[in-house]
Amino acid sequence: MSETAYFSMQNLTKQFRGTAAVQDLWLDVQAGERIALLGPSGCGKSTTLQLIAGILRPDRGQIWLNGRSLNRVPTERREIALVLQKGLLFPHLSVGENVAFGLRMRGVSRAEQVERAIAMLDQVQLSGFENRKPSELSGGQAQRVALARSLVIQPKVLLLDEPLSALDASLRGDMQELILRLQAETGVTLLVVTHDQSESAVMAHRIALMFDGRLRQVDTPEALYQNPVDESVARFFGGVNFFAADAQQHRLTLAEGERLITHYPHHGTVHITIRPEHIHVMADRVCGANLLPATLIHSRFTGTQRHLTLRTSAGLQLQAWVPPSQQFAVGQSVFAHLPPEALWVFPGSATAAAPSPMAQV
Amino acid sequence: MTHPADIIRSTARLRPTALLRTTSLALIITVLFLPFLPLLIWSFAQGWYFPQLVPTQWTLANWAGLASAGSRVGQGFVQSLVIAGISTVLALLVGLPAGRALGLMEFPGKGAIKLFLLLPIIVSPLATLMGIQFVLIRLGLSGTLVGVVLVHLLPTIPYMTLVLSSVYANFDPGYEAQARSLGASPSQVLRTVTLPLIAPGVVVGALFAFLISWNEFLLTFFVGSGRVFTLPMVLFTSLQGGNTGLTAAIAITSIIPAVVFLLFSSQALQNDAAIGGLGDV
Repeated sequence: MSETAYFSMQNLTKQFRGTAAVQDLWLDVQAGERIALLGPSGCGKSTTLQLIAGILRPDRGQIWLNGRSLNRVPTERREIALVLQKGLLFPHLSVGENVAFGLRMRGVSRAEQVERAIAMLDQVQLSGFENRKPSELSGGQAQRVALARSLVIQPKVLLLDEPLSALDASLRGDMQELILRLQAETGVTLLVVTHDQSESAVMAHRIALMFDGRLRQVDTPEALYQNPVDESVARFFGGVNFFAADAQQHRLTLAEGERLITHYPHHGTVHITIRPEHIHVMADRVCGANLLPATLIHSRFTGTQRHLTLRTSAGLQLQAWVPPSQQFAVGQSVFAHLPPEALWVFPGSATAAAPSPMAQV
Repeated sequence: MTHPADIIRSTARLRPTALLRTTSLALIITVLFLPFLPLLIWSFAQGWYFPQLVPTQWTLANWAGLASAGSRVGQGFVQSLVIAGISTVLALLVGLPAGRALGLMEFPGKGAIKLFLLLPIIVSPLATLMGIQFVLIRLGLSGTLVGVVLVHLLPTIPYMTLVLSSVYANFDPGYEAQARSLGASPSQVLRTVTLPLIAPGVVVGALFAFLISWNEFLLTFFVGSGRVFTLPMVLFTSLQGGNTGLTAAIAITSIIPAVVFLLFSSQALQNDAAIGGLGDV
């Protein structure tokens, strides 16, 4: 790919017993960028992280950092710090010794080790914890020490493997904020592995979505939500409305016979989707395009939203998420408005063909 | 080195059930050490015959004989120490990588190798000694220290490997990956992370190996051909000679390394941060 990228993976491939864990992965990352490697468990995202860290060797492909190939550089000289899911603080060392570990390995003087470790603990809001044992820490504290331990060596790239999954829901938000703040302060390039799409959206400038060892789409969180490359991507991001249609530029004719307008011109047989939160539901007819008369079949209150299931007169079933303030009775006649800009058309066929290695667009 | 926190913790633990603990501790000590009492009496007795409850005449002659120039106890002690020490180190050198492979990795034939490792423990050395002796004579190792160390590896390596494989099975190699990514070279990882974490298991394995070698009689007897004279052989000779007092003194002497080793290693075994698969010993 481009030679100007700060950090890039080219054609990266790793197989385990003949099955590809990572297949032809291309990814360019800019300095200081935050990337989320997202995918279901077993999709190869953790393997990718281990390839980058140098714990595993790729069967094929190159990793470049700052103009230097890392393929023959051992883990300890890559200047890439890894924080694993469990934190893995060394149990025989104190918190301070844990944080100072990387400095000690680099032969930094004892006084400087202490000074920098204490300053780093301060940054993760654990001042005064340096003499504690890891066994005396809570899960959230241990994770913060692990973060401090990796950042104190001032790595060029910070790899986080599911940093929040071991934490209570109440702690996740704080930890997210802390990671984002530290990333902003240090300017470190961040690669975070996660299986949670909303977590990836919060944490990353760009999301690299992986299925079955292959990158399916690399894009901003907004694009992944609004403009997925295919139905499987849309489904992973919570998409529920998928229809076959015939496209004539901006005009769509659905298989059920409904006629709709979209902002995305196409030709021939296509599949279309609209996110449930983008469908407006109203009791009275208003003027405008893409207004479908429908009957309410189901209504579920989730606390922050109402999940409605509608059936149009032509038999089309729609899922719509509306604010709790909107109340409808089951069986009531309503109108569903599908904004043309939210009506996304999948390029090509909807049955996701093999993704191109240029999936990053 | 005892941490102040440890002292506080252990005294705090004593208080509520102090009486029960002291009683049971005294009971355990009695049961464990009572069998040694006759030995101790014998070693200081000048004749101790049936109707007497305790010997009528006491002497230090047995202990003096132990140290006298004519006795082979000193020589046997040193030889046993050297052989057990070398056997332990060699068994460690084989057992550490082998235990790691068996404990952490999956590979074809792993079950067969584990079974194969047990063979020297299952099969009586009596059955194999003739063949071993034949080979060692041809190699010119019969009656040498090297030959004896080699046969002592037969029982020590399996024990060491089995102990260390269970230690490694409880070891998360993620610690090593973590240390590498923080800038530690493989040798630094071994010194600063892996060894401190598996230390208790290594101590237990080494203790096993050392004591097996220290107490080994049959293998030494055959392969040593009377030229390698370890403490068990001195003991056996003395027993055959019928000198009960001296035998008792030698027997007590033979317990010394085990006691020293245990006292020395108890600190490592108590380290609750490290994993050894043993917990509180």
